[in-house]
This record gives sequence, C-alpha cells and structure tokens, in this order.
Amino acid sequence: MSAEITKVGIIACSGEAIPEGTISRLATRRVLELLRPNATVTLCLPLFLAGNEAERNFAKTHPTITIDGCEKQCAKWGTEEHSGPVSSALVVTGILGTRAAGCHRSSRDSSQPDKEAVWTVAERIAAEVDSVLAESGPRDDAAAGSSGAQCSCSSPTAGGKLTIRGATVSIPGLPLIFELCADRNIPADTSGCAALLDAVKIYHRVLPEEEAGYRSALLAAYQDFRSGARPMK
Amino acid sequence: MGNEPIENAVLVIPCSGIGKVHGLISREATYLVTDELAPGQTDTLCLALLVKGDPEAVEAVRSHACITIDGCAKACAEKNVAMAGGRVAKAIQVAEAFKNHRGAKPGSATALTDDGWIVTREIADSVACEAARLHACEEVIR
Repeated sequence: MSAEITKVGIIACSGEAIPEGTISRLATRRVLELLRPNATVTLCLPLFLAGNEAERNFAKTHPTITIDGCEKQCAKWGTEEHSGPVSSALVVTGILGTRAAGCHRSSRDSSQPDKEAVWTVAERIAAEVDSVLAESGPRDDAAAGSSGAQCSCSSPTAGGKLTIRGATVSIPGLPLIFELCADRNIPADTSGCAALLDAVKIYHRVLPEEEAGYRSALLAAYQDFRSGARPMK
Repeated sequence: MGNEPIENAVLVIPCSGIGKVHGLISREATYLVTDELAPGQTDTLCLALLVKGDPEAVEAVRSHACITIDGCAKACAEKNVAMAGGRVAKAIQVAEAFKNHRGAKPGSATALTDDGWIVTREIADSVACEAARLHACEEVIR
C-alpha cells in the first residue's frame, strides 16, 4: 500500500438491529460528505464476504478505520479477518457512553439526541482520519483514491457558495452545517453571527482578516436557509 | 433485539448498504415491519454479525425463516445468510420496487424523501405479507 496515493478507508458496522449501528453509518457518511470528503472512502462491510477480490483487498489498499456500534466489534473483526489489518478501531458506545441510550434505529424516530450523537461520533472519526494521515506522511490529492474498491457514492456532498468581498467561496456541506446550527437554535440575526462563524470554522479554514466578510455572508445565507430559500445548494 | 431473536419470528435482514439510498430503504422497510406492521411476528439481525461468524447469529438464521432486503444486485444480505447456512424464504431487491416508480426521487444515503417513503412502505407491506404467509403455513421455524 502506498500512503501517498491512497485515501483513508472507513468501515462502519451499520448494525441494523441497534441504534448505535445507525449512528456508526450516519457518522461515517458525515465524514465522507462533509468533514473529510477528499481524504476518505468507504465500503459496505458485508461485501468482504459477498463481493470480489478487489473489495476484499480494501484494507490492504487503504489505511482503514473501523467504526463499530457495540463491543462485539464486527467491523474490526470482519475487516481484519477478510481484508487486512486496520489502522484504528472505534466503538460508538465507547465514544458516547450512556448518551447512546436515547437514540433510535429508524430516521422516523430521529430526535435531537440522535443528531448530536452523529455529530460527536463523526468528529471523533475525522480526528482519527487526521491522525492516520499524519502517520502516513504526505498525500497526493490528485491521485488519491485511484486504487482498489470503493463505494460508488462516496463523492463529496454538494457544498454552499458564498460571495465574500467579490470572491466566490465554496464551503463543503454548508447546508448540513446550517442544519446543525438551526438544531442548536442559533438565531438568524446578528446575535448569531459569532456562533455561525465558529461552526463553519470547524470545517473550513477562515483567516482572521477574512472573518468580518464571512460573518455577513454567512448570516445572509443562513437567513435564506432558515426562510426556506436555501440558495447555497 | 440482542442476539436472540423473538421466538417463532421471521427474521427480516436488510443489507448494510452505506453508499446509496437503496440501502437506507432496505433498513427503513425492515424497521417498519418489525416495529409497526408485524411486531412480535418478525425481528431483525445485524448483518455484520454474520460477517463475523457470530455463533448465535449463525444459529438464528439457520433456525428461523429469513426474508432478506438488498439495496443492490450484489445482494450482500441474501448471500451472507445463505453462506451462513440460513434459509432465505424470500429475497427482495429494492431496485425492483422502483420499476413502478419511474422518475421517483427517493432521497439520499442518509435521508428519504416522500417518494422514498412511499417505496419503503410498499416493500414493508410486501415483507409483512410474506411473513404472515410463512406464519400461516408454519414455515417459520425449521
């Protein structure tokens, strides 16, 4: 495996019978679509048995992080047994502790604790991706992902475009960030500007001298989002 | 459920599809069946447990009738149940359900639209009917 040309693989257990499995899958998607869209790929765990050789070679061609819902660690065990050693193994219950108790399997029942749990686990996975990449050395983004199997739908989610002092800036996953802000009751007026900027800065680099421009552009886009216009998509 | 399914339950096993909306539909259809349409008569199981070879999960699919719901033609759920020695009473492909909904926009890998829920509920109804038939014919346990 060449660390210079590969992305980090994330394998979720997807545990269909438990809420933590749903959290593992949604958190993985959040990392793929928003937090580390250019550095990560995924694969359905059961493909190690049902798929072909390229899919079974996944963990040999990508440094891989597993994210399991429970202590049975099916994703870690299954990946190492059928594909190759993993770089890191996370467990949702270990990250969330008792906070997973109020979560649900189905999106029909999804509530604020579910959303917060997904964000918490996604941010933990993203930190682990950064750690794996740091250990792997420099990457070539242009060549990344050119080898091995990967999910056909792991391309980045649509971003949001802002015009800041005449320049167009693209922020990956801006609608999702606004959704989180709305869930956290950040107001769509000047009193929410600082919180909006802080939320965006977690996922997007903003230089200190750019902050004033970002504040006003983000507020205008957030107001459109809250009113249903959602022009950033 | 934990590892032991409800006694006499038909096991409804969705795929773990993480890349497309079809995997999400397979799981939401499963939850509609196990939680709303046929609770007590049906249950589900983590497919990853079969990948791991968990003895209780393997025994569960061998001793209960199984209905698999797969998001794509790779049919991970159906294949993994069969490889574990389980009996697949019915294998459903989500894509088949879309033949009656051309042009539908079902949503994404993380959220269903109204179109997506319509397809999901149709699949769930089909699974619930099959589970009822299996119970009526006493084909639930072998």
